[in-house]
Amino acid sequence: MAAVEKRRPAVAPAASFPDSGRPAVSRAAAATESEEDFLRQVGVTEMLRAALLKVLEARPEEPIAFLAHYFENMGLRSPANGGAGEPPGQLLLQQQRLGRALWHLRLAHHSQRTAFNNNVGVAYECLSASGRKKKPGLDGRTYSELLKRICRDHEAVPLDVFRAGMLTCFVLLEFVARAGALYQLLEDPTLAVADRRVGQAVLDTLEGALQASDGAAVPACFLEAGSRLGPDSLALAMDRALVARRPSSPMTREEFLEKAAALFIAKVKPVG
Amino acid sequence: MLSPERLALPDYEYLAQRHVLTYMEDAVCQLLENKEDISQYGIARFFTEYFNSVCQGTHILFREFSFIQATPHNRASFLRAFWRCFRTVGKNGDLLTMREYHCLLQLLCPDFPLELTQKAARIVLMDDAMDCLMSFSDFLFAFQIQFYYSEFLESVAAIYQDLLAGKNPNTVIVPTSSSGQHRQRPTLGEASMLEGVEASLFYQCLENLCDRHKYSCPPPALVKEVLSNVQRLTFYGFLVALSKHHGINQALGALPDKGDLMHDPAMDEELERL
Repeated sequence: MAAVEKRRPAVAPAASFPDSGRPAVSRAAAATESEEDFLRQVGVTEMLRAALLKVLEARPEEPIAFLAHYFENMGLRSPANGGAGEPPGQLLLQQQRLGRALWHLRLAHHSQRTAFNNNVGVAYECLSASGRKKKPGLDGRTYSELLKRICRDHEAVPLDVFRAGMLTCFVLLEFVARAGALYQLLEDPTLAVADRRVGQAVLDTLEGALQASDGAAVPACFLEAGSRLGPDSLALAMDRALVARRPSSPMTREEFLEKAAALFIAKVKPVG
Repeated sequence: MLSPERLALPDYEYLAQRHVLTYMEDAVCQLLENKEDISQYGIARFFTEYFNSVCQGTHILFREFSFIQATPHNRASFLRAFWRCFRTVGKNGDLLTMREYHCLLQLLCPDFPLELTQKAARIVLMDDAMDCLMSFSDFLFAFQIQFYYSEFLESVAAIYQDLLAGKNPNTVIVPTSSSGQHRQRPTLGEASMLEGVEASLFYQCLENLCDRHKYSCPPPALVKEVLSNVQRLTFYGFLVALSKHHGINQALGALPDKGDLMHDPAMDEELERL
């Protein structure tokens, strides 16, 4: 690849257009030497080699646009990005993440199934890494935004996807409401927090109940599982937790609800 | 748009199709010319801007002629830039001479060769007095054909001369058992009674040309269309027909239809901002 730095004469006949007339400026050998050194020092040689390899691996339809995005992403990852010392706003971060995810998705044609699936995975991770929230997956807004950017005007959500989505959302809401009610029972009225051991025990029981309903094909079964957590079995679990001599620490309502919701989301079956 | 077959091409061919290496080399050259201004992390930014500008077609502005004509995309971008920069000339209905158009071209490309502009003008003026005035759209579309298909036109000119001289490039010369001399068609004097060449024969030769050569040619189907309307035609008659053909213009993709030449909302918006 050392040839990349030097100006090359006209290319071989495989080119669809004769590369006539390279820049006719002739430079002394010494100047070429120092140029090569400069390029190597600042890392251009390596950078271009990596870029070219990526292009050959992905074989995009528009390699020039691909290269533009490639270097843009490289620029985004670098520390000296604007230099003001102020972290970019949430919106900008989200846009960057979207851009990067889109770039990953476009790397391989969908007929190259393994490469495409790989890229989908990377894009998913890229979008899921949304800062504060520890929930897996990406939120609805990001997903819609992504769809909009890919499909532009042709976006259409089929009925069963829509139905499953709506049903799941409403069931989740109900689930969270019941989890909230559960929490209220555990809450110490004076402290407004629950004992962590007890809270965790409840959550574990909940998880168990959910796993028990694994054979179900309909999200509504989770409701049933939730309501199946009668006071008796729960009481047993809580007793056990208190008896085990572990130090007590508070668990806030938010944390409890978050964990409960996470349990639910982990159980949601993909559509189709 | 490259077909899915690009996935099966050997590396070098795939890169050559879109002139990836041409642009990468040029990017490095540009980087070297500006190296004082660029820091370590600025390099990625530099390449981003370079490749973005290639995509948008602004990379050819004020560059040397050898770069502008290096790839089909560069040529198309240059045509487009010329149109967008100077369409107001057309809007006002001004007629300019060949030299004046050449000055405009030189604003965008300092070493643009006069010869090329002359050839373009010859298409419009049909080899008449070269000091005549031309409208912007006439010049622009003739210039497009001349500039974008330079190599093709050169070959066509050679073919045309051959046909005029009575030599058919398609005939297979079989040496006879006697003196081994070729028998030629009637001499120039007789053939020049009819102007130009026969259209169908001409098309056959052009079809072969398009197959044989890898450089840009107008789509053969459209060339056939141009040639099917007439019995005979001259070289410049052919070029004029090419320059006025809407299909060929669209296939090239650089300029809008003649009717929309003045219509450029994006440019208008930018000018409003100033």
